[in-house]
Amino acid sequence: MAKRSATVLLLLVTALVSVTAGGLSEAKSNDVVTLQFFHRWPMEPRFSYFNEVVAEFERLNPDIRIEMDMVENESYKEKIRVLISSNDMPDVFTSWSDSFALNLARSGRVRSLNAILERNPEFAQSFIQSQLEPFTFDGITYGLPLTIDGKVLVYNLSMWQEAGIAQEPRTFDELITVLDRLKSAGHETPILEGLANPWAISHFLGTLFQRYIPADVLARDYNEATGEFTHPGYRTAIEYFMQLVGYMGPSATSLTHTEVRNLFIAGRLPMMYMQFAEFGFVHADPSSPAYGFFNFPGICGGHGDFSLLTGAPEGLMMSETSRYPEEAERFVKFLLSQENAAKFVEQVGAPVAVVGAVREENSYPTLMQATEMIKSSSGSVPWLDNAMNIRVADAFMRGVQSVASGDMTIDQVLNSVQAAARMVRAEASQK
Amino acid sequence: MKSSCRGSSLEPLLFTLPCIVMLGVFVYLPLIQNFYFSLYSFSAFSPNKLFIGLENYRLLVDDPVVRTALINNVRYAVISVLIQVCFGLVLAAILEDKSFKRVGPFFRTVFFMPVLMSISVVCLLFGFIYHPIDGLLNQFLEIVGLPFLQRPWLGSARTAIWATIAVSQWHSTGYIMMLFLVSIQKIPEELYEACELDGAHKITRFRVVTLPHVKEIFFVASVITVTGSFMVFSEPYILTRGGGPGTSSITMAVYLYQSGFFRDMMGYASTLAIVIFVISVVLAVFQAMVFRTGKE
Amino acid sequence: MRTAILPVLLSHRRVRNPLSAAQVVLFLCLCIGFVMIAYPMFWIIMSSLKTSREITTEIWSLPTTPLWRNYVIAWRSGISQYFLNSMIVTISTILGVIVVASLAGYGLSRYRMLWTNLVLIPIMGGMMLNPQVCLIPLYRILTNLGIRNTLLALIVPYIAFRLPMHTLIIRSFFLAIPREIEESALMDGCTGFQIYGHIFVPMSRPILVTSAILTSYYAWNEFMFALIFIDSNRYRTIPAGLMNFRDALQVDYGPLLAGMVISALPIMIFFISVQKYFVRGLLAGSVKG
Repeated sequence: MAKRSATVLLLLVTALVSVTAGGLSEAKSNDVVTLQFFHRWPMEPRFSYFNEVVAEFERLNPDIRIEMDMVENESYKEKIRVLISSNDMPDVFTSWSDSFALNLARSGRVRSLNAILERNPEFAQSFIQSQLEPFTFDGITYGLPLTIDGKVLVYNLSMWQEAGIAQEPRTFDELITVLDRLKSAGHETPILEGLANPWAISHFLGTLFQRYIPADVLARDYNEATGEFTHPGYRTAIEYFMQLVGYMGPSATSLTHTEVRNLFIAGRLPMMYMQFAEFGFVHADPSSPAYGFFNFPGICGGHGDFSLLTGAPEGLMMSETSRYPEEAERFVKFLLSQENAAKFVEQVGAPVAVVGAVREENSYPTLMQATEMIKSSSGSVPWLDNAMNIRVADAFMRGVQSVASGDMTIDQVLNSVQAAARMVRAEASQK
Repeated sequence: MKSSCRGSSLEPLLFTLPCIVMLGVFVYLPLIQNFYFSLYSFSAFSPNKLFIGLENYRLLVDDPVVRTALINNVRYAVISVLIQVCFGLVLAAILEDKSFKRVGPFFRTVFFMPVLMSISVVCLLFGFIYHPIDGLLNQFLEIVGLPFLQRPWLGSARTAIWATIAVSQWHSTGYIMMLFLVSIQKIPEELYEACELDGAHKITRFRVVTLPHVKEIFFVASVITVTGSFMVFSEPYILTRGGGPGTSSITMAVYLYQSGFFRDMMGYASTLAIVIFVISVVLAVFQAMVFRTGKE
Repeated sequence: MRTAILPVLLSHRRVRNPLSAAQVVLFLCLCIGFVMIAYPMFWIIMSSLKTSREITTEIWSLPTTPLWRNYVIAWRSGISQYFLNSMIVTISTILGVIVVASLAGYGLSRYRMLWTNLVLIPIMGGMMLNPQVCLIPLYRILTNLGIRNTLLALIVPYIAFRLPMHTLIIRSFFLAIPREIEESALMDGCTGFQIYGHIFVPMSRPILVTSAILTSYYAWNEFMFALIFIDSNRYRTIPAGLMNFRDALQVDYGPLLAGMVISALPIMIFFISVQKYFVRGLLAGSVKG
């Protein structure tokens, strides 16, 4: 009966092997190429959009099969970096721009797109040109922008009218006046943010730092090799943020950004800091309130350019080591075609980088306005957690979260930020 | 030793080989590698490691988050022993008491049900309960006229850790209760009867008969809960999004995860793993000692 | 729910003898405990049939019309895949643990030599070891083996970390099997493997079932490894998948709650129906560990 146990073992092994071999997928024929596509949008409505577009692509290209995979935002950051260094790097994947893209590009495993853009001038011209820059380093373009974005303060129009607010604030002090007006009109929390999400805090900080601190100081500090974070402006910027937190009430630290957005959509909140990419959610709910929006105001005595808009494009990258570069190229061009970009705008309700894709017939007025705002803005501010080393960003985010919940002082936060920066600096110098 | 002389000496080895190989490769090799990794600085996505000697350990000693995490783990342990073990024992004794014979099995099954739920489901559920605005708890306090007790349970540094600990108690008290129940059921009925003849009060009976008989399982349950308290991961990871606000509800396991996979300090994470390892060794030695006394 | 059960239970008591004050107090305490445990579970099921708006604004009331669509949405938008993955992982882990642990248990109980005692030490030590300690190196080992982000990345570590406890449980059961049975089989010319397969495995069915149930409890609910060793949505098991599900749904609480019910209810019913084995296993596992 040794045979019996051997059979059991054998069965087990076959079971295990078949599981790894992707026993769930149907048998593949030899002339069909499989591309791996990894993105960060498992949520609706993007989830359905990508399912549909990929199905359409497979129908039009019977020789290519797309194996699509996705994880949400926070895990994507970690997973994509791991995947890039591994053997099963996806052929096509999404990436944030700026330093996040640069970090991926540094691995040497992201394909340069210069040749493609040169070969297809028309394709190259189809993007809002300023949105290619955040993916271009030393003259080499590593990514093509799909979505564009900006973060603005949105407000519930009727609540503003009821409180007698007629003008959008242009300075931080005016913003505070607006909040006070709302408060005296009976809105206990005139503005709210989901402070349980550290990244939501980082968006505020990124903007405030840019508005207040001289650009050359930021450039030096955001660089891993030279960052010190000793400029007094950080303290002031955080104090400004805490001033806003003072209007958010006690629940802010236990709410998520999504929950706050739902409150806004349900007409229970006068103001919040929102991305253009989220407008689609507001638009999708027929009972959502009418709203207006404006760029984050400047700060008196601040050194940054007040007209810059916080937000950065997200785009598609291709693997340098892909076995099917030609097929991957076809897929990327398909995703970024005029037609599909317009479809994205229509289904998702978020702005895209393809020129002319946001049109009156497939979007709505605030989205048209948003696209105009991005095009006319003199430049963009990258998301803070993409702009600096993650350890320093984490010290800022977690620290300010603790300040908001009354657990830490700003000085303690700055100390831990400086300590993290010291470590990052030391490591950067040893590399 | 009789049986040792039969068969080839290779045969017994064949039986244990799969087990030894699995343990060696996936349990003991990683354990040893940890010590080696803790001397380096490296990231999850690069093959290069930088030797930094004992730098990680120096960092660890100065790291206030480690202190917070350890304190939180100890809080978990103390509360869990009080509620899961002590209260679980009382609960088991009540449910096994003759006067509750009828309803005992019903309550037993209900109290045991949370154990059978996956911890992630439990945490998602408590997300709804603790929600600051529409949450069951705050709404309940409103209804019963205690609105001054309302709090952002998971959003305040003062309450977040305790709210998180409470979830574990809800989830696991039934488990320890069940252990006690089974061992109480093994106590011979005559002992209780003899006691009853003496006219002893129920509390006296509990002290004289029940307690000595469940002494061993009491120690075992305590060790299980304390060990479990030093492994807590899911509750702070899910409920307070990684130990927030700030780091107020962080535990060692969550900090290990964040250091390695979010802040990209794999070497430091290995050093934290060594701390967890040392703690579990101490607990294991303690357990072994208790067992020796239990067996006497 | 509460009001329906209370009088019934109380009436049972009254028939037999008058209640003492202490008993009434204790019984009321039990009832409060019952509400604290049962109501949240009932709430999940109730709310899983409501619209998102009802869930946030009318949290206490029953659904006006049960919204079964939530279950359809949950099943279609990912839960079915997580469920399948959890099944594959759990069944493979059970098979792996039972086969490897019973083989080792047999080897360690029937052959008493110096080395069997030596082997026992790492097995017992493995039981004390906190799996988190191995997280970082294990992550690299699985990566180097090329099985990270496959279901094997869960199955293999699950088996490895469950082996110590189950080897010891099965071994202690094997030790109790009388030696005469084995010796008479030896007389008939059976080999060790035959004795194992023909005599020991069938005889120890109850303990193997116990082990299987205990392993399924672990594999079905494990969270940390499932979160870290799997990157893809399509290989996620239920506990980690639910997290993705929560983020993916954003506004839709109904399907999320339906997903929670789908992932908890069947396995709870299963465990309650095999409660006898399950409790025995918990006891065996805890006394040993």
